Amino acid sequence: MPSSMIVRALGLATLALFFLAAFTPLPAFLYEMITVPIHIERADAIVVLAGGGVLASGQLTDTSLRRTVRGIALYREGLAPLLVLSGGAGRRSEGAARSVLAGRCGVPDTAIFATSAGHTTHEEVAALQPLLRARGVRRLILVTDGPHMRRAMGLVRDAGFEVLAAPVAEVEAPTQPEPRLRLLRAALREGLALVYYHIAGYL
Amino acid sequence: MTPYIAVALTSLVAYFIAVKRLGWRPSDLGRALGRMAESLGAGVIFAVVNALAAAGLVLGLRTLTGRFFSLYSLDDLVWLAVSMLQGWAWGLWRDSKAAQLR
Repeated sequence: MPSSMIVRALGLATLALFFLAAFTPLPAFLYEMITVPIHIERADAIVVLAGGGVLASGQLTDTSLRRTVRGIALYREGLAPLLVLSGGAGRRSEGAARSVLAGRCGVPDTAIFATSAGHTTHEEVAALQPLLRARGVRRLILVTDGPHMRRAMGLVRDAGFEVLAAPVAEVEAPTQPEPRLRLLRAALREGLALVYYHIAGYL
Repeated sequence: MTPYIAVALTSLVAYFIAVKRLGWRPSDLGRALGRMAESLGAGVIFAVVNALAAAGLVLGLRTLTGRFFSLYSLDDLVWLAVSMLQGWAWGLWRDSKAAQLR
């Protein structure tokens, strides 16, 4: 029956993709395609995008923590006078939790601008635009995860800013099957998000 | 790579048990692998349809209720496993229908 042949071929193709993803560097190659290389220079502000929010215990999620630490480190290197700590909208403020951490790491209160801005990257950038403009920001260092950077940079650039990429390294070229599959998952997820943003007209 | 060497060894042992002890025909193994590929293919179809339906549901709920529902809720491996079970059950169902017709 032709339809069962098609379904069988689809199954075989899926198996082939699975073995390629688990036992070859294909996921790392796809991941590289979707990420943006680091490009850091002096700027008007360091903008750390929201990343998973705050746990019930009040602690930042792993993703949020990694991004925040990267932003703090860039500030401490003297790359910008302003550290913008964004946070997703919700009951607990990610931006506020991040600003507490930044303060404890030696960033002065006057250099921190914490805000809660939207549920999605699109909403977040739209909400940040007037706030950054009001502070005279034209050129910014954007901090987010590697795969997320391309989509976020596109939005921030479209919002009229010059953007420098400071991606947070999530994983390095893995050699074990499971981390490779996780990498493929991250690349596919962000690839789908990019497609969705293009279809929705956000990019 | 140790677990994968173990997988290869247990596959070989299972093959010999099936052929020597249980009397299964080696030629049937190819057919069985083909059926497995079909179940997997059916699972992939279920996964794609499930993902599209779930995304539509999330976007629809956003529009209808004005509340935020995250598309990241789709980023979960359990629904993928459930889709594969759907495909597997579909294949078994089809086989039982074919057996009745014989």
